Amino acid sequence: MAGKKVVMPEPVVCHAWDLSIPVHTFATGWLTAVRRPTPVVTTSATLDVPRPAVLSVRIRPLPVATRSYTFPELPVGRQPAPGGAATPRAQVPPAARRTCTRIEPPRDIVKLQDRLYYLLQPPLESLVSSGQLALPAQPFPYQYQGIAFLYPRYAAILADEMGLGKTMQAITAARLLLRSGEIRSVLLICPKPLVSTWQREFAQWAPELPVSAIEGDQGRRHWQWQQTNPPVKIANYELLLRDADVLRSSAVHFDLVVLDEAQRIKNHASSTSQIVRAIRRGRSWALTGTPIENSSDDLVAIFEFLQPGYLQPSMRSRRIGQAARDYVLRRTKDAVLKDLPPKLFRDANLDLTPEQEHAYRQAEERGIIQLSALGEALTIQHVFELVLRLKQICNFDPLTGASSKLERLEADLDEVAASGKKAIVFSQWVQTIAALRKPLARFRPLEYHGRIPSPQRDGVIARFRDDAARPLLMMSYGAGSVGLNLQFCSYVFLFDRWWNPAVEDQAINRAHRIGAVGPVTVTRMLTLNTIEQRIEQVLEEKRQLAARVFSETGEPDSLGLTQQDIFGLFNLAAPAAGKRAA
Amino acid sequence: MMRSGSQKLLPALGFLTVTCDPDQGLFGGYLVLNLLGRPLEFHCTAPVRPNRAQAILYGPSLDPYLCGERIGHTLLEKGRVSPRLVFTDRLPVMAARPLVATSLVLVCGAASQTFAGDGEASVAATGTAETAADERAASARTELPGLLLERFALGAYQLGVLAAHPDDRAQVAEYWPHFADQIALEEPFGRIREAIDEARSGAA
Repeated sequence: MAGKKVVMPEPVVCHAWDLSIPVHTFATGWLTAVRRPTPVVTTSATLDVPRPAVLSVRIRPLPVATRSYTFPELPVGRQPAPGGAATPRAQVPPAARRTCTRIEPPRDIVKLQDRLYYLLQPPLESLVSSGQLALPAQPFPYQYQGIAFLYPRYAAILADEMGLGKTMQAITAARLLLRSGEIRSVLLICPKPLVSTWQREFAQWAPELPVSAIEGDQGRRHWQWQQTNPPVKIANYELLLRDADVLRSSAVHFDLVVLDEAQRIKNHASSTSQIVRAIRRGRSWALTGTPIENSSDDLVAIFEFLQPGYLQPSMRSRRIGQAARDYVLRRTKDAVLKDLPPKLFRDANLDLTPEQEHAYRQAEERGIIQLSALGEALTIQHVFELVLRLKQICNFDPLTGASSKLERLEADLDEVAASGKKAIVFSQWVQTIAALRKPLARFRPLEYHGRIPSPQRDGVIARFRDDAARPLLMMSYGAGSVGLNLQFCSYVFLFDRWWNPAVEDQAINRAHRIGAVGPVTVTRMLTLNTIEQRIEQVLEEKRQLAARVFSETGEPDSLGLTQQDIFGLFNLAAPAAGKRAA
Repeated sequence: MMRSGSQKLLPALGFLTVTCDPDQGLFGGYLVLNLLGRPLEFHCTAPVRPNRAQAILYGPSLDPYLCGERIGHTLLEKGRVSPRLVFTDRLPVMAARPLVATSLVLVCGAASQTFAGDGEASVAATGTAETAADERAASARTELPGLLLERFALGAYQLGVLAAHPDDRAQVAEYWPHFADQIALEEPFGRIREAIDEARSGAA
């Protein structure tokens, strides 16, 4: 602050003193000056602060873009009542409730709406636990996965090892599709002996579905083919040949065609394969425990039914494995059924009896001389004839009937019968089964082969299952290797060996499958230093083929039993190598 | 904004959730099921990601704003079928409830679980080490500003409704017998997350 300086008077201090001194006052003129107010001069200064700038932030609502998808509601009448169940409900264990198997769309479904439709379906376990899908037994987790695999697919191979329940998985997936309204008609094609098995399985796993078997005279069959009801029809392969004209007509169409034992169409050029491929259909499923029996060409042939042209015979097996991966589901018992009783192999490597040895060496030497003498006229049929002749001698000496295999078999069967167990004996030939009939008569054996009329076969199985006094069933590979459920049987004897390891596996798995209550002992009979031993070496290579294709681990060295293989059994040179023989 | 006139009231249930991708932001998914658990509708959003200013200015109310008012409300408005109940497993989604007429119920977890835990879980706090499952569990337990919950047990579940909408509790209790045996309440959220992933991969 600026201005004149104000001088304040000193404070006056008064003291009273009695001095008695006379005081005289007089005017000085100072009092007026004291009374005059002191002037105050002020000045103002402005603060030089700039005006603050204001920044406004406008908060706009965040835009939210959406995509919407709607799905069809179940058709009226197909919706199961919540909580209701037409058949007894499987008890769902708590562990199964926790697992969650959802349907995954396959890669060939491209449209997002369709993919979401499958992705958003409820878990299969919840369908069962809620009673929407009534099943007589609780499926295994891998079976749920199999159902979820089949359900969304238009082309699929369920290639589980025998005994894992392919039938149940296929029926349940088809049942779900029928109930959802996605399909309305199903044709199931199977070998003739299995028609009644499939009827029973449908009655068990989908009791609400009407099922009819195509049968009877031609007029009745034609009428059946053209009926839209019932929704599920069962036909056998043999019958397709007789009804080819009807099946090729446009009047017959199925939303789903399921081939059981689909290896029946492994020969692309066969009449059966051609007729199956000609059936008009929406979806194509193939069930087989042996998608590759001899070579990857078998798988290519099955794909001609599923997705024509997708695989080519010229493709390398590793490439086939990669291309087929999204279409094929294969599980083995070892991988998924940890609780299944073990399958115990016993290789009964036997020496021939002296009688057999003599007959065998004589037949082999003569045979090779004869084959060599044929020169350029030598064909694979000549070699086959010798192989079959030698294999038969490995079973029985043609003159005396002596058999080292029979001796071993009798000893083993005595033990089986004494323990109250049941056994199956497999042979390649009906004649061998006939030859076993008499020496094994004390076991009261039952027989199941091509000479047993089809109407009697179910009765044979029933007696074997239910009659404790009939512990033995003798079967031919051809009639008894597929579709039968003999899990009550503890012993399997392979009296002679089939050409194809897959057929042997199928035979063994009649007994070693879900429901088996104990270990299954498989006795593989083989005579040493014979053609059987040489064939076994080839079979072992073939046994690894399917695994190589599906694991995509490498290129198989040998695909199938070629002419080269057959001729090689006798160190003969094949006149024209490369063609498949089996 | 309440239910539009084009929506049909069917015996159906809705399931609404929001997932968080550290790179892209928030994805909302809304699944409408019939009482057998089969899908009738599915709606999902493109990724929603707040900018820095929004994250700062909304503060703790950002999650309810994004998940409930923006994503949840938008998805519920998209539905053609108006379900009797809508369930969510994310607490911030409950902020959509004042904006819609449908009862909105928070699935907190199994009845055996407690509601302990005061930690704050932010769906907008992307890039944290917290797993999605942990985040959802924490989200279901925690209170957020303006979302006062009334929690209760029903069947095997701990559920919650907004205290401001007490009738929702009566609504879910009344309708419960119609679907209790058919649908596990936590299960459809897994379907939604898979479907969102599928839609994202399809759009990529």
